[in-house]
Amino acid sequence: MHVIPQLVVSTLLLGGIYALIAVGLTLIFGVMRVVNFAHGEFLMLAMYLAFWCFALLRLDPYVTLVLSLPLIFGAGWLSYRLVMRPVIHASHNVQVFTTVGLSIALQNLALVLWTADAHFIRTPYYAVVVRLGGAAFNLAQTVAFVIAVLATAALFAFLRWSYTGKIMRATAQDRQAAALMGIDTGRVYSLTWAVGVTCVGVAGVLLAPVYPVYPTAGLQFVLIAYVAVVLGGLGDMAGALIASLIVATVEVVGSYLIGTAWKEVLYLLLFIAILVVRPAGLFGQRGAEAIGT
Amino acid sequence: MSTALRGTWPALALFAFAALFPLFVRDAFFLDGLILILLWGSVASAWNVAGGYAGQVSLGHSIFFGLGAYSAALLGTKWNVSPWIALVVGAALATVMGVVIGFLSNRLRGPYFVLATIAFSQVFLIVGSRWRGFTSGSEGIPVPFRPGFWTLGLVDKRIWAYLMLALAVGVYLIQLYLERSRRGYQLAAVREDEDAALSLGVPARRLKVAAIAVSAALTAMCGTLWAQYVGFVDPFYVFSVDLSVRFALAAVTGGIGTALGPFLGAALITVLETYLRARFGGIGAGLVGIYLIIYGVALILIMRFTPEGLVPWLGRLRRRPAASPAS
Repeated sequence: MHVIPQLVVSTLLLGGIYALIAVGLTLIFGVMRVVNFAHGEFLMLAMYLAFWCFALLRLDPYVTLVLSLPLIFGAGWLSYRLVMRPVIHASHNVQVFTTVGLSIALQNLALVLWTADAHFIRTPYYAVVVRLGGAAFNLAQTVAFVIAVLATAALFAFLRWSYTGKIMRATAQDRQAAALMGIDTGRVYSLTWAVGVTCVGVAGVLLAPVYPVYPTAGLQFVLIAYVAVVLGGLGDMAGALIASLIVATVEVVGSYLIGTAWKEVLYLLLFIAILVVRPAGLFGQRGAEAIGT
Repeated sequence: MSTALRGTWPALALFAFAALFPLFVRDAFFLDGLILILLWGSVASAWNVAGGYAGQVSLGHSIFFGLGAYSAALLGTKWNVSPWIALVVGAALATVMGVVIGFLSNRLRGPYFVLATIAFSQVFLIVGSRWRGFTSGSEGIPVPFRPGFWTLGLVDKRIWAYLMLALAVGVYLIQLYLERSRRGYQLAAVREDEDAALSLGVPARRLKVAAIAVSAALTAMCGTLWAQYVGFVDPFYVFSVDLSVRFALAAVTGGIGTALGPFLGAALITVLETYLRARFGGIGAGLVGIYLIIYGVALILIMRFTPEGLVPWLGRLRRRPAASPAS
């Protein structure tokens, strides 16, 4: 059986990228209690960034990645300042519609500026295939996986050991108590939002050499991230990581068994089943979904 | 009689205007605008029944719209059935689906409910675009044009305008009922604080499911009429999240949980869209997307400054001069 190692490798490669998108989403939710419906648009914008740097400046996407980190972080911080800060204490519905509004605006900005055509990055290593232990896989995808894993690990280390990370986790646990301890929660929110956007931005640049970019490119990835994030328990970082692998498994095994055309239905049904049976996620606290927090 | 009509004069004026408009204006462009405003206003109002009055904010309402549209297209092409029957069939299917979704996601609140509805609509989008044998897949289905009123093959846009007006008035009256009846108050109680409502003996779960079912049926009826009017059903449009957002957008802009708000919101959005289409159509067709950028930014600004929408905001503006001398 040569199929099994190939499936395992494909799952890991996909899962790594999904994880990076999902941890950004779940971090924002965990600390700010906001589901970012514009998450996919930040992914799309980062893909365009990589594409234009490649098309106009002949910059390799991996060079772009390093150079654009401050830019993506800054864009995230700015979007928090302009859009999210005024509604951070508003009701869930107000926040949902604010991020939906941001999503519509960004998506159509891309549409007006760069049309609906799909763009591709053809790097010299576009078709390079790596063979390892009976499995074959795309080089760009492997690099994306490795960087995604490193970025995710760095984020976990940052949250676990740095002082700022501890402040963020404290705010996630109890924003009022955190404020009483002298934590400037407003700054924590802006930092969290910017870090979450940076995660998905890095994922976007990494995906650019592998997938075509168009104005609604973010939707398919962010849907998967929603599934992973709810499956792992909204706000649960480690849960999102494991759930990303589960979703990737469902996708890879599903497309092997029933074909790629219907694979989305599989994880959407998984998503609905989770929401119905255990909305707090596999590892979350029961009842979180009913409080709506 | 006077109490029954209290506060409805802006709506009465709007509907009276819509009723008189086709008598004086024969221009197809303006009639089309009126028809679309009434249609999108009706869909937004239908969304409002669940999203506004019951607090079940859904971004999956395109499911019901699509069920209505596909009923018209499939029943018409495959079995030569009248759209009026398709209207009932679509509404029935949507009611069933509304009950299923409402029941399954009953526990979910806030963003969880939104995510669940998006997931459901994606399932419909995939089925609609991939089940080639039944739905013709991603190519979509042209709705057959069979002249006559029973087959809704109407060339005269004035008749369409009155049909849509009847629909709009019907949906408006349902919203008015939800604002003024005992059941409506119960629903508002569930929306504001479900636990408190439950403790007072309000059947919260049943009411929420019922609101979604009614909202679904009304949305499907709009979908059937839309398909019959436009003449083509495309799965990527009728089941898209964008379309669901569009319904919600009109209601939220005009005033979520108000009876007139969705119509006001739909009017603003349709006028803006039509203007930009006329302005940038042809060579600068890509610029048409600008109206969506304006929507997005407007939505953010409305959420920021007057999250309850334009109707309550206008109401406050009107009352403020009267209130200040008293205080």
